[in-house]
Amino acid sequence: MVKLRARCLLVGDAAVGKSALSHMFHSDGALFQKNYSMTTGVELLLKCVNIPETNDSVELYIIDSAGKDTLVEACEKMWGELSLLCLVFDLTSEQSFANCSHWMERVRAYCQGCHIPGVLVGNKTDLCARREVQASVAQEWAQSQGLEYHETSAKDKENCDAPLLSLAQAFHSLYRERLETTQNLGPG
Amino acid sequence: MIRSSLNSLGAKVVVAASSDENHPPESIIDGDTKTFWMTTGMFPQEFIIRFADPTNITAVTLDSYNVKHLKVEKNISQKASQFEFVTEKELEQTEGHLQSNAIPLNGSSATHLRFIITSGYDHFVSVHRVSIQN
Ligand SMILES: Nc1nc2c(ncn2[C@@H]2O[C@H](COP(=O)(O)OP(=O)(O)OP(=O)(O)O)[C@@H](O)[C@H]2O)c(=O)[nH]1
Ligand SMILES: [Mg+2]
Repeated sequence: MVKLRARCLLVGDAAVGKSALSHMFHSDGALFQKNYSMTTGVELLLKCVNIPETNDSVELYIIDSAGKDTLVEACEKMWGELSLLCLVFDLTSEQSFANCSHWMERVRAYCQGCHIPGVLVGNKTDLCARREVQASVAQEWAQSQGLEYHETSAKDKENCDAPLLSLAQAFHSLYRERLETTQNLGPG
Repeated sequence: MIRSSLNSLGAKVVVAASSDENHPPESIIDGDTKTFWMTTGMFPQEFIIRFADPTNITAVTLDSYNVKHLKVEKNISQKASQFEFVTEKELEQTEGHLQSNAIPLNGSSATHLRFIITSGYDHFVSVHRVSIQN
């Protein structure tokens, strides 16, 4: 039995639904805020996730960071050391999807080559009539970036847990891999 | 060189920031580099070794993997608190084999040694053995 700890960064353009998703995940679907209240700094949420078919768990420190461009730089100073990445865009905004590559560049530069498991989330599936980004396109880009792709609706409570659960599992797998490597090391 | 393990000398690991049941902090002082304590994510991570009696220590040798930056503190109290800074070191990364680093402590006397790992080359790092020269 082991309890792992991971710091998970949520980024993406303003108003794509990062705070909505993180609150939904944190409150197990109890809370959806209809009125937009912009995040101006970083908000920290803590949630413990059990890993299926093991006695292990991952304690996620979720860092919900402001998406507004003028606030990003200040927020970056509060990101701390990152273990996981959750990159969110709005399925009804082509622009928010296009900007994902800038977010990736920023996070990569920040992490300085350290590999962190990540997911790409297309949010607001409930607004299907206004959809501007096709799943296949998003999926393809995600794959090219080594991210796992998910679609969610915080409003309809659709699939909201999946991105962070899969990140917790990825972190757990990484731990298992590292254990294996460490067990096979030669002496110094 | 034959050196007895720290636990046979009455030393104990009294605190560790995190641990996996299968890789407990006691693995650090059993003298065996095959067994190890593995951190479980995020830094800093620390462990504290208590000696049965105040002990003069010239140097400690740390066998580890993926540890990047390490701080060492000590005290001469019965309690594991109120530490004073002794030294810090940036360790080189190794691949496929353990890092082995001697860290001079200048013969200082200690009842507790506190090792604080402030960063790593990976999300998880391991400590396989701490041995002392006195
Ligand atoms: N229809 C719909 N609206 C959503 C969904 N998720 C979030 N919203 C709405 O979108 C707006 C922005 O959501 P937030 O969660 O505050 O967005 P954010 O990404 O945190 O924005 P910043 O804090 O500015 O970076 C709010 O009005 C939410 O109610 C969704 O799945 N469907
Ligand atoms: Mg927000």
